[in-house]
Amino acid sequence: MLLYTLTRLAYLAMVLVVMSILVFLVTQAMPGDVASMIAGQFASKEVIDAITVKLGLDQPLIVQYGRWAAGILQGDLGRSLVLEQPVAPILMEALSRSLVLAVVALAVVTVIGIGAGVLAAVRRGRMADQMVSGVSYLGIAVPDFFWAIVLVLIFGSYLKWLPTGGYAPLADGFVPWASHLVLPVVTLVLMLIARIARLTRSSMIDVLQTNYVKYARAKGLPEKVVIVRHALRNALLPTITVLAIDFGLILGGVVVIETVFSFPGMGRLLLFAIQRHDLPLIQATILIISTAYCLANLAADLLYAFVNPKIRHGMGNA
Amino acid sequence: MTALVPLSAAASPDPTPTPASATAVSALLEVRNLTINYASPRGTLRAASDVSFAIRPGEVMGLVGESGSGKSTVAMAILDLLGEAGRIDGGEILFEGTDLRRLSAAHRRRLRGDRIAAVFQDPFTSLNPALTVGRQIAEPLVQHKGFTPRQAAPRVEELLAEVGIREPRRIAQSYPHQLSGGMQQRVLIATALGCDPKLLILDEPTTALDVTVEARIIELLAGLCESHHLSALFVSHNLGIVNRICNSVCVLYGSEVVETGRTRDVLARPVHPYTKGLVAALPRITTDRRHRLSSIPGTVSKLSGASESCVFAPRCPFAEETCRRLPQALRGDAAGNSVRCWKAEALAGTPWPEESTASRPQAAPPARTAPLVQVEALRKVFGERRSILPWLRRDGTVAVDDVSFTIQRGEVLGVVGESGSGKSTIGRSLLALIEPTAGTVLFDGADFVKQAKEGDRDLRRRAQLVFQNSAASLNPRKTVGAAMERPLVLAGRQGEAERREMIAALLTRVGLPAAYADRYPHELSGGERQRVNIARALATDPEFVVCDEAVSALDVSVQANILNLLADLRDELGLSYLFITHDIAVVSHIADRVLVVYGGTICEEGPIGRVLRPPYHPYTEALLSAVPRLSGAEDGPEPERILLEDSTAPPGGGGCAFRGRCPRKLGAICDERAPPVQTAADGHRIACHIPLAELAERASVFPELAALH
Repeated sequence: MLLYTLTRLAYLAMVLVVMSILVFLVTQAMPGDVASMIAGQFASKEVIDAITVKLGLDQPLIVQYGRWAAGILQGDLGRSLVLEQPVAPILMEALSRSLVLAVVALAVVTVIGIGAGVLAAVRRGRMADQMVSGVSYLGIAVPDFFWAIVLVLIFGSYLKWLPTGGYAPLADGFVPWASHLVLPVVTLVLMLIARIARLTRSSMIDVLQTNYVKYARAKGLPEKVVIVRHALRNALLPTITVLAIDFGLILGGVVVIETVFSFPGMGRLLLFAIQRHDLPLIQATILIISTAYCLANLAADLLYAFVNPKIRHGMGNA
Repeated sequence: MTALVPLSAAASPDPTPTPASATAVSALLEVRNLTINYASPRGTLRAASDVSFAIRPGEVMGLVGESGSGKSTVAMAILDLLGEAGRIDGGEILFEGTDLRRLSAAHRRRLRGDRIAAVFQDPFTSLNPALTVGRQIAEPLVQHKGFTPRQAAPRVEELLAEVGIREPRRIAQSYPHQLSGGMQQRVLIATALGCDPKLLILDEPTTALDVTVEARIIELLAGLCESHHLSALFVSHNLGIVNRICNSVCVLYGSEVVETGRTRDVLARPVHPYTKGLVAALPRITTDRRHRLSSIPGTVSKLSGASESCVFAPRCPFAEETCRRLPQALRGDAAGNSVRCWKAEALAGTPWPEESTASRPQAAPPARTAPLVQVEALRKVFGERRSILPWLRRDGTVAVDDVSFTIQRGEVLGVVGESGSGKSTIGRSLLALIEPTAGTVLFDGADFVKQAKEGDRDLRRRAQLVFQNSAASLNPRKTVGAAMERPLVLAGRQGEAERREMIAALLTRVGLPAAYADRYPHELSGGERQRVNIARALATDPEFVVCDEAVSALDVSVQANILNLLADLRDELGLSYLFITHDIAVVSHIADRVLVVYGGTICEEGPIGRVLRPPYHPYTEALLSAVPRLSGAEDGPEPERILLEDSTAPPGGGGCAFRGRCPRKLGAICDERAPPVQTAADGHRIACHIPLAELAERASVFPELAALH
C-alpha cells in the first residue's frame, strides 16, 4: 500500500510539473502584452520597457518559467494585475467556497445516487427501478441551467423561500449560509445523482449476478448482508472513480451554475480573470484547479485500492 | 447375458413405484416429482420434469447429465437459489422429512449454509475478491451459530487445517486472488463444513481445476464425507469422477431422470440407451487413433410443454414407433435401480452400436524427411517491464522456456499440461499470434514469425486455429456464412458465387446442412458452433491447424463427434494438428505423439503409446494416475493414485520446473541443475535427473494397456 501510494504521488508530481509548463506556455501565447496592460493605454514606450525589464519579461521563457515556478513553490502565486493585490488570498477565498459547494454536493450525491442505484438494481424491472431510470433520464437529458432557472423562479422569485443567488459566509450564521447553498447544490446534484444512480445500478446488476453473491446466499446470509457486504462493496469501484472526478469538477468551478446563482467560486473567478486578461490570476487559478483535480483522483485511486485488495497487494495493473 | 439387471416392475401392470418412495423412511433428502420451469422470452422452458431421487444419510449421489439436462437446476432448487426466472411447478423437496417448499423463505435461508451447505464449480468466482478468506469462512458461523467474528477465528483455522491447508492462520488472512485454484476450492469446502451440515450440494466442484488438483480435492471430499458421515449431492458431467466418489448415481437427460441406481451397476452395465451412449462416447486411454469413438447423434432439443414421447427417442438407435408415441415412466427393480425406458429389459445386454468399424490408417506419419513445423529453443516471457521507478520494474513470467519439437506432415502432436504450463503460449507462438522472446519457428522451412511480420498472407492461410470457446470465437452479429466468407476472400476467392458454393461445401464437410450459412451463432448448439469454427479454419485450405482445447468445453457425446470429425479431416485432407488439451484421454485418442509440458518446459515427449507406459517422468506418472476413469472389469483393479501437492507457481532460477511438487525429488541437484534429457526409446525422451532404469521400475498406471499392441 505504501509502495502504491508512493507510485501515485510520483505520478502526481509529474503531472503537476507538466501541467504548470502547459499553463505557463498557454498564457504566454494569449494575445496582449502584460507590460502595456499594467502601464495603461496611454503610457509611453519607455514606461512599458521599464516595466518589462522590472518584471523580467525580456528574459528567455525558460528563465521566466523558472522564476514563476520557484515563486509557486515558495507559496507566492503572483499579483493580480486587475485587482492589484496578491493572487493567493483571492484564490483561497474562492476555493474555500467551491470546496463547501463540492463537499455538500458530493455528500448528497453519494447518499442519494448510490442509494437509488442500489434500489433500482435490487428491484430490477419493477416500479422502483423504472422510477429511478425515468428520473435519471430527465436529470441527464435536461441541461443544468434550465433546472437552475426553474428553481430560481419557483423558490426564489415566486415562493421567496430562498435567496436567488450570492453567498453568505458561515460567520453570518448557519441559516443564511445554508439557505444560499440550497439552490446551487440542488441544481448541481440533479444531474450528478442521475449519473451516479445509473452507474451504480448497472455495476450492481453485474455484481448481483456473480458467483460470489450466489455463494453468499448459499451460506444463508440475509439479503441485506448479501447486498451490502458482498455486492455493494465490489459494485462501488467504478462509482468511486466517477465521484472523484465529479468532486474535482465542482472544485474547479462549475461556471454555468456559479454564474446563474452569482456564486463566487472558482468558476466565476476564472471567468473574471480570462475576461480581464489577468495573466497571473489565470495561471494561478488553472494551476490550483488542476492540482485539485489531481488530488481528487489520487484520493479515488487510494480509495479504490483500499476497497480492492488486488491493487493493494500490487497484483493488479498498478 | 440377456438380463443383467432384472426389472421386476416391468412385469407388473402398474409402473409407478420409484426407488425414491421405497427408501422414504431413511432418506435424508428426498426429491419427489420435482418439476421446474424457466420463463424465457420464447416461452416456458422445462428444466426438470418429474424428477425423483433420494439420498440416505452418508450416501453420496451423483447427479449426472450434459449441459441443459437440468442437473444444476435441481441442485439450485434444493438450495432455494433458482433465481427469478426459475419456478417450481410441482413436487416436493423433503429434507429430514420436511418439505422445504412448505417452509417460509426465511426458514429455508436458515437451513442454507447451516444444515445444507454448498460448494460451487468455479472457486475463484465463488469467493468475494474484496474480503479475506477467513472472514468469508466465518460468515456462516456468525450467521447460524451465533459466533462473534473474533470467536470464529480459531474455528476458521481449525476448518482450514481440516481441509489440508498447512498454514491456516496465514491463509485465513489472505485474499482469494493470492491463493491457487486448489487452495480456493479447499477454502470453499472449509466454508461449507463450518456449521457441521448434514447435506452437501456439490455443483461441479472440480470442473474448473487441473486434473492433479482435482484428484486431491476428490480425495479430500471423499474422506470428509466418510469421516463426518455427510450426505452429498454431487452434480457433475464427468462420469469418471462420479465413479470415484459416488455410491449412487442419477442420470438426467432432457430434464428427466432416465436411469438411477448404484454407481457400479449403472456405469458398468448401463441399461438406458442414453447412459449406454454416454459411457461409450467417453474417450479412453485404451483406444488410439485407429478407433472411431462411439457418439450419440443429434443434439438435445429445448423442451417446452409436457413430453408426449420418450425424450431420448430422436437420438436413440434402438427407438421404434412406440417410443415416439408414449411418454416413458421410470420403473424400478428389486435392487433399487430404475430406468425410464420400456425396452430396458430387452436392451439390458445390448451394447451401444459402434461406429463404422472401418479401421483408420495405422499411426505412421510419412517419411521423416522435412518436418512441416520445426520449433527451436522457443522462449516466451510475459509481463517484463522496465521503468524509471525501480519498484515498478518487473522481471516478467517465463511462460515457455527453451522448447524444441517438430511436427511431420499428417501428424497429430498432442500437448498436455495444466493451466499455466505454457501449452497455449506454445500454440499461439507457432501461429505468430504471439511474438516469441527467443527461438525460431519454421513452417515448411520458412521463418513463420518473420514472414508474418512482413505481412505474408500465404503462411497465415496455411496455418489455422480452432479455439476452446466456440461461442466467443464467432461474431454474434454475423451469420455463419459471413463469418466464413472473410477467410475465403483473404485466400483469394473473389467470385461471390464461388464463395457461396465453397461455404456450402465446407459446411457439408464438417457435417452441417449447407443452409446453416444463413444462421446466427446463437441459433446453434455448442457442438454445431465448434463445427462452424472448424469449417472456418478449413476455408483457407490449411495444412496445419492448432486446436487449443478445441473439445474441452463440449459435452461428452458432442466431444466424441468433434473428435471423430477432426480425425476424419486429418485422414482425408492430410492435415497436421497441434492438439492442445488438459485431457490425457482425448490426446491418447487423437495424437500420434505427445509433449507433456510443465512450467513452460517439456518433461516428456514421445509416441503416445510409449508415454502412456513406463518409464514415466514423475509428472506424467502423477498426471496419468490422476485421470478419473470408469473402472470396471475391463480396466482391472484401480492402481494406487499419486497425489501431488496443490499447484504452486513453478520456482524460478535453474533446476527442474517440477521440483516444487515432485514426489520423487532427489535433492539439491533438482534445485540447481536443469534435468538432462534421457532417451528411453526411439523418439521417447524424458527430462529428469532420475536414471531411466529407475524410472522404468515403476508399475504401469494403465495395466490394461499391456494387453494391447
